[in-house]
Amino acid sequence: MTIEAKAPRKLVLYIAGQTPKSVAAINNLQRICAEHLPGQYDIEVIDLRKNPQLAREHSIVAIPTLVRELPVPLRKIIGDLSDEQKVLINLKIEGE
Amino acid sequence: MSAADHLNSDAVIADLRHRLAEAEDTLRAIREGEVDALVVQGADAEEVFTIGGDSESYRTFMEAMEPGAAALDAEGRVLYLNSTLRRLLGRSLEDVQGKPFQQVFDADTRGTVEHLLAQPGTASQSGDLRFRRDTGGDLHFSVSATPLKLGTITGHAVTFADVTERVRAEAAEQSERAARAVIASANEAVLVCDRDGVITHANVAAQIVYSGNPVGLRFAEAVPLVFSDASSEMDSEGMVSATLAGRALQGKEALAPNAPMVKDYLISAAPLQVAGDQISGCVITMVDLSQRKAAEKQQLLLMMELDHRVKNTLALVLSISTRTLSHEDTLEGFQKAFTGRIQALAATHTMLADKSWTDLSIENVVRSEVAPYLGGSVERVTTSGLDVAVTPRAAIALGLIIHELTTNAVKYGSLSSEEGTIHVSGAARAGEGPAPLTIEWRETGGPEVVVPTRRGFGRTVIARSLQYSPEGGAEVEFDPAGLVCRIAVPSEDLR
Repeated sequence: MTIEAKAPRKLVLYIAGQTPKSVAAINNLQRICAEHLPGQYDIEVIDLRKNPQLAREHSIVAIPTLVRELPVPLRKIIGDLSDEQKVLINLKIEGE
Repeated sequence: MSAADHLNSDAVIADLRHRLAEAEDTLRAIREGEVDALVVQGADAEEVFTIGGDSESYRTFMEAMEPGAAALDAEGRVLYLNSTLRRLLGRSLEDVQGKPFQQVFDADTRGTVEHLLAQPGTASQSGDLRFRRDTGGDLHFSVSATPLKLGTITGHAVTFADVTERVRAEAAEQSERAARAVIASANEAVLVCDRDGVITHANVAAQIVYSGNPVGLRFAEAVPLVFSDASSEMDSEGMVSATLAGRALQGKEALAPNAPMVKDYLISAAPLQVAGDQISGCVITMVDLSQRKAAEKQQLLLMMELDHRVKNTLALVLSISTRTLSHEDTLEGFQKAFTGRIQALAATHTMLADKSWTDLSIENVVRSEVAPYLGGSVERVTTSGLDVAVTPRAAIALGLIIHELTTNAVKYGSLSSEEGTIHVSGAARAGEGPAPLTIEWRETGGPEVVVPTRRGFGRTVIARSLQYSPEGGAEVEFDPAGLVCRIAVPSEDLR
């Protein structure tokens, strides 16, 4: 169904400047999305070093953390996303 | 409790479970080093703390480094490249950050980098890398990879030290060494001059053209040259100037009058172009020609000598033939006398040929002429004072004279009897200055000598053979006790 394909899907990656884990997380996420989930998610990267107050919205404690905001339920993956299977399980959309 | 309350409390429990799971996951991630920054609720607002130090500080440090530097994570992905390395590789940070470091390099250099990063352990690994510059030429780097703890991860610090100048200097030094070795091992004298014609290098063989060290002297003054090509008015100065102007000189013969050892040389001079088209000096090689010159002189001399001798010999043979014919009555007599005389000539020729037409000793000439007539009794002819060398022309004349005397002695003189002997003696030259050598041929113990009634050719040969010089000649005395002949060898033919 085309309606479902157009449902809003959004990932937010919280990083802290250019820490090694932040750099690795950005690259891992870009790679996984490009290889396994092309075009399925909008990705927003939030640098908490620049805007620490933005951590509040998703109650972020550890960095890097990836938040699947949409579709609900909201899911969080903590770490540099080097475990590809774990990422895919959490990002997989039910019914697909 | 109503159904709605039930639902509500289930939802609360689910929410609490979810938050508990999230809290546990966060703690696990922190404990296992999967995160390297934390958000802390400060007095007024949230603050971000980096675990294991601030990544900005090592970046600042890397920027301050002169060599190119890269920080890699444990998987070899790029965390940071300083600006020196970014410039060298022609990549922006955005291009390469998070990418495997090897991918930054081309196929030629990738292997070296992979090898360095693949080494296990905590020791630093080093290797050499070469990049081709767009403008041509190579850039050389000494690359070293050192394991490094960055925050919560263990990665690598990789540095690229530019050693291009050092490599170039080493290559230049090596090439200089090779050039010196080539010059040093050359058999020819090799002298290198700078743009001012001052000698900067000279090999060991150059000692033959200048005794001592010629380095620092002007070539034209150290090695003056006179070129044998009469049409050119070139000298050392002119040769060096012409070569420095780009005109090479190939194989010119020249005389080096001031050279300590050899005088004749084959000279070649070529402009020295060390870098580009600029002439920075000249290289002069000098090949020793003395042996070749001497050989040429000897050959010329021998050819002239041969020509002269062939003519002389033919004239002599003709003369011997004519004279023998007029003095012999029978064909048999002619044959015998003529053959003997030609054989005498041949004997001396053989000796001369054996000695390469150099001087012969009178002793040898006498011995070779008398030997065929003595059979085993060589003691019948004794000699003294004949150990004197004479020129080939005197040797031939002496050979003919001794032959005539010997055949005469065999036919009529002391060798015709059983007891007769001959003594041939050379008289020591008296006084100063050149004087002819007198050889006395004295026969004893033969039949009584009577003056012959007719003058045969033998006497003509004896009298005239040495008369090519005013000093030369021979006279026969018919002493009844035995024939005596006094032969004067011209002083100019004595050696």
